[in-house]
Amino acid sequence: MPLLRVRDLVKTYQVGDVAVRALRGVTLDIHSGEFVAVVGPSGSGKSTFMHILGCLDHPTSGEYWLEERDVSRLNDDELSAIRNRQIGFVFQGFNLLSRTSAVENVELPLLYGKSVSASERRKRALAALDAVGLADRAEHHPNQLSGGQQQRVAIARSLLNNPSILFADEPTGNLDSRTSVEVMDIFQRLKEERGITIVLITHEPQVAEYGSRIIAFKDGQIVSDEANSTQRLAVGELALLPVG
Amino acid sequence: MTIGSSVSIALRALSRNKLQTALTTIGMTIGVATVLTMIALGSGAEAAIEQQVRAAGMNLIVVTAGNYKAKTEDDGGGVVDHQARWDADPRVRQGGRRPVVSPEPSAPSPRVVLAGFHPEDDPMEKHDHPTARQRLGDTEAGLGMAATLTPADAEAIRKLRGVQYVSEGIHENIHLTAGDKRWFTRYHGGDVSLPSIRRSWTFTSGRFFTAREQSKQAPVVVLGAFVAQKLYGDVNPVGQQIMLWKQPFQVVGVVGSSSFMMTPAAGDDQFDAIYIPFTTIHRILNLSKLNDITITAASTGEVTRVSKDVTELLRARHGISMTRPDDFTVATQARQSLAKGGLRPDVARAVVGNVGGLEKVTLEQLGRTLDRATKTMTALLGSIAAVSLVVGGIGIMNIMLLSVTERTREIGIRRAVGARAGDVLRQFLVEAIALSVIGGLAGILLGAVASGIIAQMLRWSTSISPASVALSFAVAAAVGVFFGYYPARQASRLDPIESLRFE
Repeated sequence: MPLLRVRDLVKTYQVGDVAVRALRGVTLDIHSGEFVAVVGPSGSGKSTFMHILGCLDHPTSGEYWLEERDVSRLNDDELSAIRNRQIGFVFQGFNLLSRTSAVENVELPLLYGKSVSASERRKRALAALDAVGLADRAEHHPNQLSGGQQQRVAIARSLLNNPSILFADEPTGNLDSRTSVEVMDIFQRLKEERGITIVLITHEPQVAEYGSRIIAFKDGQIVSDEANSTQRLAVGELALLPVG
Repeated sequence: MTIGSSVSIALRALSRNKLQTALTTIGMTIGVATVLTMIALGSGAEAAIEQQVRAAGMNLIVVTAGNYKAKTEDDGGGVVDHQARWDADPRVRQGGRRPVVSPEPSAPSPRVVLAGFHPEDDPMEKHDHPTARQRLGDTEAGLGMAATLTPADAEAIRKLRGVQYVSEGIHENIHLTAGDKRWFTRYHGGDVSLPSIRRSWTFTSGRFFTAREQSKQAPVVVLGAFVAQKLYGDVNPVGQQIMLWKQPFQVVGVVGSSSFMMTPAAGDDQFDAIYIPFTTIHRILNLSKLNDITITAASTGEVTRVSKDVTELLRARHGISMTRPDDFTVATQARQSLAKGGLRPDVARAVVGNVGGLEKVTLEQLGRTLDRATKTMTALLGSIAAVSLVVGGIGIMNIMLLSVTERTREIGIRRAVGARAGDVLRQFLVEAIALSVIGGLAGILLGAVASGIIAQMLRWSTSISPASVALSFAVAAAVGVFFGYYPARQASRLDPIESLRFE
């Protein structure tokens, strides 16, 4: 059974009088432990695709099964619960709460869903920060952190509820090349060490090369979907890059 | 998400924008403070008027032994009409059978008419000789005087609904001796509650007699201020002994007037008088009856009902069949004060010259009207102040709407990590309520201080009741909910994707 099963997914937006067909029938399976890179030019529908997979949006038609559950028919509260427990997000703009410390940002998912005591929240958030190497930055606010550090805080936040799948929307778009490789290294290690499925959305072919499978979108449809035989490994590249 | 974490998130969010929060809160503070102050002023005025009405004795009912009603005062004291008395008669109600003695329907009402109309009864008429009223004084020269009231009657009246204080009364003239000084005055045998009935009394020294002294029939006496002045001059008479009925009585207090309208004077019957427990008089003079019973109604509006109840109670207790007249007279203070004059001639003509019994209604209604007028004033002041609360509420709504726009991205982030629409709604609602409640609490403090200052500076009476504080607090919270709900709902309805994209 695939972790994620999509059948004939269609999404149509109404923009004024014009109907924009963002997705025109997408069918796809993603299995547990895959590192899928979704590429395509802007307007190709890859972001819409990710929003639906990430339970932030409803499809106009089609089926979407997540861990053997038909997600396309769930109501808003049920989708929120899935986002809370099964899904993690990493965004291009980091999307951290400003004027809120790193550790409080990481705690955020634990405020919702089943209640967790404040001390337990703090403990788990600190552990997650430690895992991305930012234990000493816990009390810093986002504006006191570098872009790479902010993205690592966002990754720590996305992992707090031990999700089975992580969606990353242009995670390296705002980062320099070294920190981009660092983020890719974290993703590859998460996949290897914790078996987390990763769906990476990017418009840069070089970034997509870190994935084990590359899916190309164009005009709301999948134009190619193949295993990546030339997967880049971030660990090796990091060793070669100059520090700082 | 627990309430506790909602509140802590809200407080943290508010603390991030301290100036904005403070300014919004000030709006609420002023609103709540104004409402509280207005209510304090209004209910202070209400209490003051109520007190003056009471002090004027408008809630006073005096039951006198005997019945000497004149024709124009036909059913004085608000006695029910004949048919009503029929209906109220317990024998009729319980037995369903009328008593054998039944009044002739054609016969005139069985009322005693002791005096017909006399030219002297016209209060507007000028006379070149003393009128009967002037000659006889207000005792009416013993017309219908009878010893019909007992302490047991008074005890029964105490148990009636709406009765506040009851005092037994025995009154007579007396010679008293203190050392070599003598004075001729009135004594009043009364109950310990008498100072509560006479609102304009103040004790210039000592105290009134106690319940214990009353039950022990102790020989204690309270002097009217005028008597004390006559007997002792400037010396404090408390602890001294005076002789009454050739027996020593100990002076325990001196009673004077707290009202500038009434200064102790010779023959005023209040301060040119002495007060003794009625039980003591009963013992020494070997008496068992009372001259009168003084009653206060708990509310001025209930004087008529209470005096009716008293009449029916006493008729039943005295076993008076319905064909016989009362053997007592129930009069309200309103009527007495009218009878004593003090009205402008034109008003008096209108009141006394027209319908018998009108004067009673008019004064009682005056009391009720004053009551209503002050309540209306309080409501008016309160509602004007409520406008400022609405303004404060709109301030909160404005800042919350602004905040929702400013924090659209935050809402998107929270939704992405699993906040339900309801969680977002609650977060913003709690924030709005926190704003209004913080403002409200500050407003309660400010309002209390403001009322205190107004009371001090303007010498207006104000009163802040726990109820009005609770009301202000509740109103503040309600304003938060009311004006916070719309922005909070806006926030909860934001699309998560749109919010995440929001710059």
